[in-house]
Amino acid sequence: MKKEVVAMLLAGGQGSRLYALTSHVAKPAVPFGGKYRIIDFPLSNCVNSGIDTVGVLTQYRPLELNSYLGNGQPWDLDRSDGGVHILPPYQREGDQGTWYKGTANAIYQNIGFLDLYDPEYVVVLSGDHIYKMDYSDMVAQHKKTEAACTISVLEVTLEEAKRFGIMNANPDGQVYEFEEKPQHPKSTLASMGIYVFTWQKLRQYLIDDEADPNSSNDFGKNIIPNMLNAGEKLMTYRFSGYWKDVGTIDSLWDANMDMLAPNSSIDLYSTEWPIYARTPIKPPHVTGPNAHISHSLVTGGCKVNGKVENSVLFHSVVVEEGAEVEYSILMPGTVVKAGAKVSYAIVAEDAVVEAGATVGAPPSDDPKWGIAVVAGGVTVGEKATVSPSAMVREDVKGGEQA
Amino acid sequence: MNDLHGILFAYRSNTNLGELTRPRNTCSLPFGGRYRLVDFMLSNYINAGITDVGIIVHESYQSLLDHLGSGKDWELSRKHGGLRILPPFGYEGKGGGEYRGNMEALSGVYSYLQNIRQEYVILGWGDVAVNLPVSEIYQQHLDTGADITMVCTTHYCSTPGNCEYVTISDNGQVNDLSIHPATASGLESLELYIMSKQLLLDIVEYCTTHNIYNFSRGVLQPRLHTMKIIPYIHKGYVARFPSVSGYFNDSMDLLDEKVRDDLFNPDRPIRTKDQSNPSTYYGPNSVSKNSLVADGCFIEGEVENSILSRGVIVEKGAKVSNSVLMQGTVIKAGASLSYVIADKNVKVNEGRMLMGHSTYPLAIAKNSIV
Repeated sequence: MKKEVVAMLLAGGQGSRLYALTSHVAKPAVPFGGKYRIIDFPLSNCVNSGIDTVGVLTQYRPLELNSYLGNGQPWDLDRSDGGVHILPPYQREGDQGTWYKGTANAIYQNIGFLDLYDPEYVVVLSGDHIYKMDYSDMVAQHKKTEAACTISVLEVTLEEAKRFGIMNANPDGQVYEFEEKPQHPKSTLASMGIYVFTWQKLRQYLIDDEADPNSSNDFGKNIIPNMLNAGEKLMTYRFSGYWKDVGTIDSLWDANMDMLAPNSSIDLYSTEWPIYARTPIKPPHVTGPNAHISHSLVTGGCKVNGKVENSVLFHSVVVEEGAEVEYSILMPGTVVKAGAKVSYAIVAEDAVVEAGATVGAPPSDDPKWGIAVVAGGVTVGEKATVSPSAMVREDVKGGEQA
Repeated sequence: MNDLHGILFAYRSNTNLGELTRPRNTCSLPFGGRYRLVDFMLSNYINAGITDVGIIVHESYQSLLDHLGSGKDWELSRKHGGLRILPPFGYEGKGGGEYRGNMEALSGVYSYLQNIRQEYVILGWGDVAVNLPVSEIYQQHLDTGADITMVCTTHYCSTPGNCEYVTISDNGQVNDLSIHPATASGLESLELYIMSKQLLLDIVEYCTTHNIYNFSRGVLQPRLHTMKIIPYIHKGYVARFPSVSGYFNDSMDLLDEKVRDDLFNPDRPIRTKDQSNPSTYYGPNSVSKNSLVADGCFIEGEVENSILSRGVIVEKGAKVSNSVLMQGTVIKAGASLSYVIADKNVKVNEGRMLMGHSTYPLAIAKNSIV
């Protein structure tokens, strides 16, 4: 059945800069903001924008992501026509099949999928950004300007511009030059990795790009420059509002902390643009007689009888009496036992911090200071210590330091 | 998987609950922060692998329909079977108004009963909060070869005048049933039964043709000595909501960890409608002690010994103690509540003081502004 717009969500990345947090799951499946996973943001944006057909391109550790997406029901994407489709790499007749070599190659390998829906426009999204955005407005601009490609851009500082793909554009928004991580940026319009393409144009560029053995088959490195060189009309789409790449430990921690200040980030409580999630069945959270909770998010199934400040608690977290948690992110099912202290840390799913243990520390002058990370399922033994910026993947025995 | 079909009675409105049931049938009364009463029995059924459930409704069931939807939150949105809401179709009862009894209700849905695919049927009320091992009860029914298995409890309700009690003979069968006595004795019946589909059809047919509309009086009592009726004794927690203060006490029971562990047993989770709420936010100077708080709340004031449903807002300087706040309640800055039950979307304005008493909690009707 023909669709006007189909979204393709690039969710194949390992997210290697999240280290221990992505050793078992793909980055888009990393828990975020108390109730969500990263992928809930682009998926909910699609649904709220009226896009009902979404291809999710996966290849790294897809099991948890696949079961999380399921039939797409939590996002209203369980449709008999369209809906959410998980698209892994696959073999074709007479060829060996390959992994997705790059972002453009991932879409190339799924030309067949897109042809099923024969869309006018394809929206290409990343699975590692936190933001609320109406893609239908971007598509409307794309149609109005009759562009071949529209790229969503965000104003950043000159300093930040060195880390982004920068769009140099005329006052009317038409892009005349694209620079990847420029040393001397000419503009501060950074690409957010969100593209709208006219499908028939993109289709041809993907086929041509695939035929080029020297190409790295990437949108930023190849497709966009090729389109520019060929004189296609590329337009910027100005986005203002909260947008955060959560590809590193620090940015993931930061973005979670941002959720504690709904006025300056994303208002998760607003009902106008809801973010949907698949939620496990949990009773309400319980606060005990000795609970002290301030400036924090607490989720269903939690049991808090200790001190929690400036932190994000996902579902089923236990903070026992006498335990202290500050400026930390406790993912589902973590347990912080009596007298333990967790500070400036990310503790992943089902990890246990035993009595009297210490994880992380407040910022210090030490240049090596950073957010401490405890991987999923790890036990930090009694009175053990996890140093700031440590990355713990295996159990730490009682009394030892990691 | 098993050969059991679920029937839930959801047609009565308990008038003793006053303001709390005026806008709704008792089954859709909010309880425990994020649930409606019907969630408990419905979850009990599906946790036993039941795939087909019929819910018998009569009046004011809009809120129940809204809550249940297609049944997908209970995995009951199926191509075959699944959830069926059964309003009185072709019902020609003479009572007018509410069904006079559960047999009249069953007569009203006789054609549905005839089409049941399973060999056994469990029948219960949808306005009881209990976590029952239904598959164990079903197994006992098969093992004992009982005609009817009747679920009983030793956890007495506070108003025996609304309940039924049984005594057991030496051979383990029910030998006496007293209905609505002045004082409780023996085992209290949860009025929850398992029997074969064939026996159910025979009983309904008999009752329809003999103008019998109450199962306990018209079927159980006369047949106590001709049928093999065996109790299943449930030792866990049961809440039955006999009155406004009873509702309040049952809610406060949830602050006891043992009650929560029993009612919210993770092996038999209680499911409810998913609302995609975010986590609850606690502000910098908030207090939350000894309370049960659902997702999506925004708490900047003080909360103690209370139950908060989804999306409750407690502003700075507001104090809430010993209270039950249902979904969407807003407590403005500086207001103070003690022993209050606030129904859905109640708004308590700045500085208001509302005080009930533990024996007489103050119930505020849905959508009121104080």
